[in-house]
Amino acid sequence: MIVKAVRAVLLALVALFFLFPIFWVLLMSVMTNQDILRSPPSLIFEPTLENYVALISGQLDTSVGTLEVAYMRNLMNSLILGVGSVLLSLLLGVPAAYAFARFRFRLGENIAFTLLSFRFAPPLLVLLPLLFYFQQLGLYDTYFGLIWVYQLITLPLILWIVRGYFEDISEDIEHAYRLDGHSWLATFLRIAIPLARPGIAAAALLAFIFAWNNFIFALILGSSDVQPVTVGALAFITASGINYGQIAAALVLSVVPTLILALFAQRYLVEGLSLGAVKG
Amino acid sequence: MVELAQDRALPRARSSARDWLLPYLLSLPSLLVTIGILIPFGTAVYYSMERYNLAFPAGRQFIWFGNYISLFGDPGFWNTLQVSLLYTLLCVGIQLLLGLGIALLLVRRTWFNDVMSVLLILPLMVAPAIASLMWKLMTNPSFGILSYLLTLVGVERFPWASSPDTALFTVVLVDTWVYTPFITILLLAGLRALPKQPFEAAELDGVPQSFVFFRITLPMLMPYILTAGLFRMLEAIQQFDIIYAMTQGGPGDTLMVFQIQAYLSAFTYTNIGRSAAVLMVLWAITFLLSNLVIKRWLKLRERRHGNA
Amino acid sequence: MAYFEIDRLSKSFGKSKVIDNLSLSVRQGESVVVFGPSGCGKTVLLRLISGVLRADAGDIRIDGESIAHLGPDHRDVAMAFQNFALYPHMTAFENIASPLRARKLAEAEISRRVHELAELLRIDHVLGHTPRELSNGQKQRTSLARSLAAPPAVLLLDDPLRNVDAKIRYEMRLELPRVLREYRSTVFYVTQDYKEAMALGNRVGVLYDGTFQQVDTPAGIYGRPESIRIARLFGDPPVNLLPARPELSGDGRAKLRIGGSDLVGPPSLESLVGRDLLVGIRPEDIEVLTEPAEGAIAVELDALTPLNVRAVMLLRDGQGTEILASCPEDDRPPLSRGRRQVWARLDLGRALFFDRATEMRIH
Repeated sequence: MIVKAVRAVLLALVALFFLFPIFWVLLMSVMTNQDILRSPPSLIFEPTLENYVALISGQLDTSVGTLEVAYMRNLMNSLILGVGSVLLSLLLGVPAAYAFARFRFRLGENIAFTLLSFRFAPPLLVLLPLLFYFQQLGLYDTYFGLIWVYQLITLPLILWIVRGYFEDISEDIEHAYRLDGHSWLATFLRIAIPLARPGIAAAALLAFIFAWNNFIFALILGSSDVQPVTVGALAFITASGINYGQIAAALVLSVVPTLILALFAQRYLVEGLSLGAVKG
Repeated sequence: MVELAQDRALPRARSSARDWLLPYLLSLPSLLVTIGILIPFGTAVYYSMERYNLAFPAGRQFIWFGNYISLFGDPGFWNTLQVSLLYTLLCVGIQLLLGLGIALLLVRRTWFNDVMSVLLILPLMVAPAIASLMWKLMTNPSFGILSYLLTLVGVERFPWASSPDTALFTVVLVDTWVYTPFITILLLAGLRALPKQPFEAAELDGVPQSFVFFRITLPMLMPYILTAGLFRMLEAIQQFDIIYAMTQGGPGDTLMVFQIQAYLSAFTYTNIGRSAAVLMVLWAITFLLSNLVIKRWLKLRERRHGNA
Repeated sequence: MAYFEIDRLSKSFGKSKVIDNLSLSVRQGESVVVFGPSGCGKTVLLRLISGVLRADAGDIRIDGESIAHLGPDHRDVAMAFQNFALYPHMTAFENIASPLRARKLAEAEISRRVHELAELLRIDHVLGHTPRELSNGQKQRTSLARSLAAPPAVLLLDDPLRNVDAKIRYEMRLELPRVLREYRSTVFYVTQDYKEAMALGNRVGVLYDGTFQQVDTPAGIYGRPESIRIARLFGDPPVNLLPARPELSGDGRAKLRIGGSDLVGPPSLESLVGRDLLVGIRPEDIEVLTEPAEGAIAVELDALTPLNVRAVMLLRDGQGTEILASCPEDDRPPLSRGRRQVWARLDLGRALFFDRATEMRIH
C-alpha cells in the first residue's frame, strides 16, 4: 500500500517536472503581458490569441513602437530545411542503405562508418572550414548550402535505420522477383522499397525532427534570411522590448510541429534515437 | 546414368561488369557526401597547425603544433577542459540515475504508464536551444514561475544562470530536462526485453527485492545502461545549443565548454588556428568515445541479425 | 539429347568448396530430383542455376546456349521456394501475375492465364487475398502457380513441400506430377525426403560433398546404391550392414558367416571370396520365422514396433549385432512383444555387397 502511494507520488513528480515547462510556456503564450507580470502569478486570466496574431502578421507592438519581425520566415525556413534535407537524404541514403544491406563490399562499410563517426564528431570542426568554403563557393546563406550540411545529421540516421529494414527483408523474395523476369531496378523499386516503407517513413520522420531542432549549422552558415526557428527564436528573445507572451508564443510555434510528429512516430523513436542499437 | 557433358574447353564463369559495379553506383552519392565531409575535416586539421587570425591575415603561417602547445599553457583551455568534463559527468550521472529510476517506475505495462512513457518523449523532441529559452522564461527574475515558486519556500532572488555559482546547475537542469527521457526510453526498452525466468525464480525463492535489483536486474541491464551512458557522454561533452542559448558561455568563463570556447575563439576573437586546435582536442575525445559506442552498438546489431 | 546441362560447376566460399566439379544433363520434359542431406549444397546449386550466385568455374546451358553470364531475369528459369517467398504486399493474383507482367503481356491475357492456373491448382477463390490471409497450403500453391505462370525452360522446385502440413504434402505429392506434366516442364526438384525423391523423379541425383554421387532412376538408387552412405539415405528403417568375409564351401559355392551360421550366397559372391565386406540387407528382405528353418539364423527378438502399416522388428544375433527386419503388419508372424527366440531368413540374392574399406558397392 505504502509502496503504491510512494510510486504514485514519484510518478506525479516525474510528470510535473517533464511536462510542466511545456504546459507553462503554452499558458504564457495565451496571456497578455499584464497577466504574465502579475505578482503573484495567477491561473485565472482571460486567454488571448493576440500574441499569435502579432507573430503571424509580423507586426509586434512593443513598448518602443511597432517592430517588424519575420518569425514566420524562420518557421518557413525550418520547414524548407527540414523537408529539403530529408528528401535529399532519402534520395542519397536509401539506395546506399540498400547497397550496404545487400552487398558485402569494403567501400560500403567504410562509407557507412565514416558517416556514422562524423555524426558523433563536434559539428563546429566541419563547420568552421565549411564557412570559408561556402563563402568562396557562394553557398553561404543559401538553402542549398545548409541542406547539404544538414546531411551530416539526416543521412547517417536514414542510412543506418533503413539499412536495418532492408536487411530484414528476405532475400528470397527479391530473388523470386528477379526470377520472374524483372530487372534489378524494378525489384528495388517494387519489392525492396515498399517492404521497407515503414522503416523509411520512421527514419524520415526522425530525420526531420533532428533537422528541425538543429541550431548550430544555420547559426554559422546562414544569415537571418535562411535561419530556422531555433536560431530565430534566440534572436527574438534577445531583441529588447518584445513582450513575453509573444516570446512564449514563438517558442510554442517552434516546438509544436516536432511534438506532434513525435507523438505519431513514438513507436519508432527508441530505435531511431539509438540508431537501432536497442531494437528488440 | 550421368551423361557427361561433351569435352569442351572449360569456360571461366564471367560476371558482368554491372554486377560488381552496382553497389558502388548505389553508394556513390553517399560517397560524395562523405568526401564533402572529409575535405573540410582535413582543412580543419590544417587550420589547427596554422597561426591564422582573421584580424591579421598577413601573419598566417604554418606553425606545426604551436597552437596546441600554447593551448596547453593556457589556463583558459584547462578551464574549458574542466568545465566540459564536469558538465558531462554531472549530466550523465544525474540523468542515468534519474532515467533508471523513472524506467523502473514505468516498467509495468499499465494504461497510465504507457501514456506517461509516450508523453515523456516530448521534452526530448524540443530543440535543446528552444528548451533553454523555455527555461529562461521560467527563471526570469521578474516574472519567472520558478523564481516565484522559490520565493514561496523562502529562497529570494535565486540567480539561476546569471551567477557563476548557479549557472552550471541551471544548464545541467535544462540538459537533464531534455535528455533524461532518452535514457528512460532506452532503459525501458531494455527492462522490458529482459528474460522473465530469473525474476520468477527469485520471487518463488523469496529473495529480497533489493537483492533482486542489484544482483539480477542491474547486471542484466548493464549493456543498455552503458550504451545510453556513452551516447549521452558523447553528446554532453559537445554541448553547445543549451549553453549558448542560455548564457553564451558566461557568466565570465563559468560555462566555457569546448564548442563554446571554439566558437568564441573563431567568431569573437577571429583566431581560427586556436579554435581549430580546441576542436581537434575535443574531436580526439569524441573519437575515442564514439569508437566505444560504435563497437558496442555493432555487437548488439550483430546479435540481432545473426552472422548470416 | 541433353536439354539442360550443368557442366563442371564449382563454387567456393572462402576455403570451403560447396559445389565441386558438378555435372548433370537433363532431357527436355524430364523431372530430376536432387536429394541430399541438409548442408549438402542444394541451396547453393539452385542459386547458381537461378543466377543469384555466380559460379567460380563451369557452365550452365539450356538448349545448348550458355546462361552462366545472364542475370536471373534473363535465364528463363523459374523457382518455387521452400519458404514460398511470396510478395507480402501483393494479392495472390498479382503474385502469380508477376512473371507475366515482366513479359509485358496484355491485361486480358494475364488475367486469363492466372485464372487458368489458379483453377488447376484450386486457388481461384483466394486470388484477391494477400499472402498473410492464405493458409500454408494456399501459399504453396500460389508460389507454384507463380513459377509456372510463364512456362520456364527449367523449373526449380526448392523443397516446396517442406513447410506444409502432412495432409497437403500428401495431396501435392499426388497432384504435382499431373500439374508438371500439363506444363511439360523440365523440372529440377530438390528435397530432403527420400520418399518424395522416389515418388516424383524420373531420375534422382544424390548430392553430397559438393557433387552428384549417383544419378539413377529411383529404383536404381534403391536397388543399386553406389555406396554405403547412399544406401543408408534411402530406406526407412535403414539398410542392415553386416560385416562378413565370403569363403568357399566344399561344394565350390561361396558362403557367408552371419550370426554364427554359414549362409550360402548368390553366385556373384564367388568372385569376392576372401574380401572384407559389409553386406547390406534391407529390412524387408529379412523374413522372421517362429520355427527353425533351412537357411534361417537363430536370433533374439528384442523389440517390435509398428511403423506406418509395417511391423519393424529389432533382432539381435549371437554376437549381439543388431538386425532390423520389417514386413507388412498383416503378414507378420504371430509374435507377442516380449523378448524371445526367433529365426531370420536373409534373402542374400537381394543383398548389396560393399567393400569394407572404401564403403563402395562392389558390382
